[in-house]
Amino acid sequence: IAGVAIYTGMETKMALNYQAKSQKRSAVEKSMNVFLIVYLCILISKALINTVLKYVWQSEPFRDEPWYNQKTEPERKRNLFLQAFTDFLAFMVLFNYIIPVSMYVTVEMQKFLGSYFLTWDEEMFDEDTGEGPLVNTSDLNEELGQIEYVFTDKTGTLTENNMEFVECCIEGHVYVPHVICNGQILHDCTGIDMIDSSPGGSGKEREELFFRALCLCHTVQVKDDDSVDGLKKNRLSRRSCIYISSSPDEVALVEGIQRLGYTYLRLKDNFMEILNRENNIEKFELLEVLSFDSVRRRMSVIVKSSTGDIFLFCKGADSSIFPRVKEGKIDQIQSRVERNAVEGLRTLCVAYKKLTAEEYSSAQKLLQNAKLALQDREKKLAEVYEKIERDFILLGATAVEDRLQEKAADTIEALQKAGIKVWVLTGDKMETAAATCYACKLFRRNTQILELTTKKIEEQSLHDVLFDLSKTVLRHSGSLTRDTFSGLSTDMQDYGLIIDGAALSLIMKPRQDGSSGNYRELFLEICRNCSAVLCCRMAPLQKAQIVKLIKLSKEHPITLAIGDGANDVSMILEAHVGIGIIGKEGRQAARNSDYAIPKFKHLKKMLLVHGHFYYVRISELVQYFFYKNVCFIFPQFLYQFFCGFSQQTLYDTAYLTLYNISFTSLPILLYGLMEQHVSADTLKREPSLYRDVAKNALLRWRAFIYWTFLGVFDAVVFFFGAYFLFDNTIVTSNGQMFGNWTFGTLVFTVLVFTVTLKLALDTHYWTWINHFMIWGSLVFYIIFSLLWGGIIWPFLNYQRMYYVFMQMLSSGPAWLGIILLITVSLLPDVLKKVLCRQLWPTATERIQTKHQCLSVEQSTIFMLSQTSSSLSF
Amino acid sequence: IDYTGTEPSSPCNKCLNVSWDSTPPCTCTINFTLEHSFESNVFMYYGLSNFYQNHRRYVKSRDDSQLNGDNSSLLNPSKECEPYRTNEDKPIAPCGAIANSMFNDTLELYRIDNDTRTPIALTKKGIAWWTDKNVKFRNPTGDGNNLTALFQGTTKPVNWPKPVYMLDSESDNNGFINEDFIVWMRTAALPTFRKLYRLIERKNNLQPTLQAGKYSLDIAYNYPVHSFDGRKRMILSTISWMGGKNPFLGIAYITVGSICFFLGVVLLIIHHKYGNRNTSADIPN
Repeated sequence: IAGVAIYTGMETKMALNYQAKSQKRSAVEKSMNVFLIVYLCILISKALINTVLKYVWQSEPFRDEPWYNQKTEPERKRNLFLQAFTDFLAFMVLFNYIIPVSMYVTVEMQKFLGSYFLTWDEEMFDEDTGEGPLVNTSDLNEELGQIEYVFTDKTGTLTENNMEFVECCIEGHVYVPHVICNGQILHDCTGIDMIDSSPGGSGKEREELFFRALCLCHTVQVKDDDSVDGLKKNRLSRRSCIYISSSPDEVALVEGIQRLGYTYLRLKDNFMEILNRENNIEKFELLEVLSFDSVRRRMSVIVKSSTGDIFLFCKGADSSIFPRVKEGKIDQIQSRVERNAVEGLRTLCVAYKKLTAEEYSSAQKLLQNAKLALQDREKKLAEVYEKIERDFILLGATAVEDRLQEKAADTIEALQKAGIKVWVLTGDKMETAAATCYACKLFRRNTQILELTTKKIEEQSLHDVLFDLSKTVLRHSGSLTRDTFSGLSTDMQDYGLIIDGAALSLIMKPRQDGSSGNYRELFLEICRNCSAVLCCRMAPLQKAQIVKLIKLSKEHPITLAIGDGANDVSMILEAHVGIGIIGKEGRQAARNSDYAIPKFKHLKKMLLVHGHFYYVRISELVQYFFYKNVCFIFPQFLYQFFCGFSQQTLYDTAYLTLYNISFTSLPILLYGLMEQHVSADTLKREPSLYRDVAKNALLRWRAFIYWTFLGVFDAVVFFFGAYFLFDNTIVTSNGQMFGNWTFGTLVFTVLVFTVTLKLALDTHYWTWINHFMIWGSLVFYIIFSLLWGGIIWPFLNYQRMYYVFMQMLSSGPAWLGIILLITVSLLPDVLKKVLCRQLWPTATERIQTKHQCLSVEQSTIFMLSQTSSSLSF
Repeated sequence: IDYTGTEPSSPCNKCLNVSWDSTPPCTCTINFTLEHSFESNVFMYYGLSNFYQNHRRYVKSRDDSQLNGDNSSLLNPSKECEPYRTNEDKPIAPCGAIANSMFNDTLELYRIDNDTRTPIALTKKGIAWWTDKNVKFRNPTGDGNNLTALFQGTTKPVNWPKPVYMLDSESDNNGFINEDFIVWMRTAALPTFRKLYRLIERKNNLQPTLQAGKYSLDIAYNYPVHSFDGRKRMILSTISWMGGKNPFLGIAYITVGSICFFLGVVLLIIHHKYGNRNTSADIPN
């Protein structure tokens, strides 16, 4: 009979750690909206200016209503105010194209289609799990190119969550299981490599004792695959049973020992059964378990062997074992342990002592008393443990590796080079986490570690600790901050901060005296100056808190959180971009994330290549859209000055409608999908290129203003070029005159060509589709214009475009004018590009130059001199 | 040649405040001298300034299907033509502000040779786009070629002295396909514009079309421009394949060409100076 009490609802651990999902918007979208507001202001001010000017201009009646152009009766009677308002609205309608409505459609399409590129990426496909990346949202693609902080979970993300017994050191002799050496599992004793000289007889004895100790000193439970006949099966195939323990280290140890010939079978009626190398079952009676706790950092068992000897085996962290050791080759083992620890292995030391029956009974009595104590049981227990666990004989040390995911270190290094700060947030204890951080090169050897932990805070007050830390950090930051940020120079003093959950909650806890804000800022200040931060012992919600803290700090950096388990969900939801790893701990994280990848190493390509591309593409797309609409509408605005502010359109209605839909939309969409300004391999190889686009670099005000002014300049060139071409001269060869529609068509033709060629100039990555689209839309424009003007369209009540385009093409000056105007309007952009490239090249451009042996600027110069020589006839 | 007549000394000054229907029209004569002779065909333009043919209300005030000879539109013109759509309950043909304000000065050119005035033959065909004349503009269809009958039921534009079917005596230049009318109907892009009025064709290869010398221009001054501060001009011009005299293109091409050349040189220098540095510079990583 089993009783199960289940509580569901809002107070479960899961629910308390859950956070409401909020709408995520990318930084690009935000700046896009700001730009839109600017354009809206421009639009309104344009309309206002024109309305006011119209009424100033009309104040003389012969202008308002000359004899040749009189108003209708109802028009005349209309209220002046109402009329002004309608005029204003009419101007708004006329200029509304400056707000690129089609941009939103294109951006959405670009994001949606673009996200497929991520899914299709074969390099990000994982053969082991047979899964590729998942894209749950397409809104944040470009955000991947903007990441400044990466918050990563440790277990299952950085590491595979898969412990591996690596080596042991008995009496100073190092044993390495063959498993690691050649990847094969060997069961007999040749599976041990003796690195040092083979031990003598006593060594052999010690060795066996050591293995027994490891076999016995744990709290592992055995779960049989086949519960009916578990024992037999185990004998037949040793790997078929599964060890379960609260600590993965123990499992790894037991499994490792199993490979060395000692198999822990089960705990049966307080007897631990061990299958030794000779396939005999040894039975030990388990007398006491002195369980593990984090203060002692060791655990012990007291067992009685079948021969009646009572042993106390103890296993624990080196720092807690060594002081209690009476004999044994401490120095040798200690040096080995230290070496292993530096390599990022988790080390444990094993010691034993033989107890006599009297000793045992007294120990048992003490334990019994302590356990039964009603008050201060913990404390008393600890005291007893302290008494019992002493005078050990050191046996040896073990090293367990929590295997890092493949290329995790490489990935982290690349991310750091890319100027991204990596924070590790983990629930693990500090030592393990720190070891992993060393292993994955988050902390380097020369990194100065600052600790902000409970232990330290107990010693000093929080205030002092924080203050000290900030002093240490800031002392250097004065002159060296920039280098620290860039992390370029390895000889620089790096800082790594380690903080644990308790300390963090102290910092975050709001104080009555209102000084918590100070602590927070101080903490942030410290964190910002550290190249790497490790937060251990974090509750899931604390992870989210940290993310939030950074997210809301002064610079509003873009954060990314990556994790695999349910405990990372709140962090994933909190960060700007949440990435889930499709890993062992279920799909909770992957489901709640924005993107899901199979392995941590894929993060590198995702950010450095895809993110970079997405960002470059979308920022160019947004800027280009604004540019082309400024080019489009500004001539209209100028034309109002020459047509009496009468809202006369410069272009024909069909051109107005189709400009954004078909003449200029496809090339930019394709650019938004295909552009690779540097090749993907280069981006991957040179993580520092990521800095070029950091902090929304391509959508800053300077770039925006540049594009807008370029647009205005081009528009002025189009309009006044055409104006002077038409002004008071004859532009045909048969003396006939052109009308206003020809004028508009000429401007429009120049416009379409310039805008498309400008894109062609910006495109670095040409595929046949690009060629097809760019030249195709120009050809389409010509064909459309020929068709549109070539037929009397019966459904239209006006035929103003009839033969206008053909007549224009039949005139020589129009051709010359078009070519000239296109050249002039493209000139400043080319010039700017070449100059910037030559004089102040960015890293990206340098790479581009390097890769194209004949650099762009040479060909541009060539082109320029070609044009000039052909022009100056 | 400006013949608006704003200056009191101008012979056309008396006509300045002329109205549309003044009969007989006010006439004036302006004498001028050609410094150079015109060798090839000469094109005679009239130019108006400060005349907003591109005003929105004006531009749309026409009915293209009426002008294309559609009979139903002839009797029921488009609403766009308001307030020039009907007059005294009769539809106006051609309707709209553009047609209503058609240029109606008559210009005649004489060569003064020893006090004798020889009229110069002016061709009035070939001044409009071929497609306009033959496709876009058509007279209404019906039995017979009698335009008067075809335009039955319509009335002339308010400002016109004569109905549309009496614009010219020749039948292929009358009604909607009158070339002066077609030229006027192509609205100009800018408030200062010129329109082709007549052609002076070269007669033989021996002598230039217009010799240098004294000429006089006889104007039947009907078209009032003073009310909106406008000017009227008459322009004589020859044309090459490049069109008329157009200083803008030439200047612009020379300017842009030299800018391009200059930039090319500058960039070449920059490239030589800095190019080496760039290629040798290590990429920091």
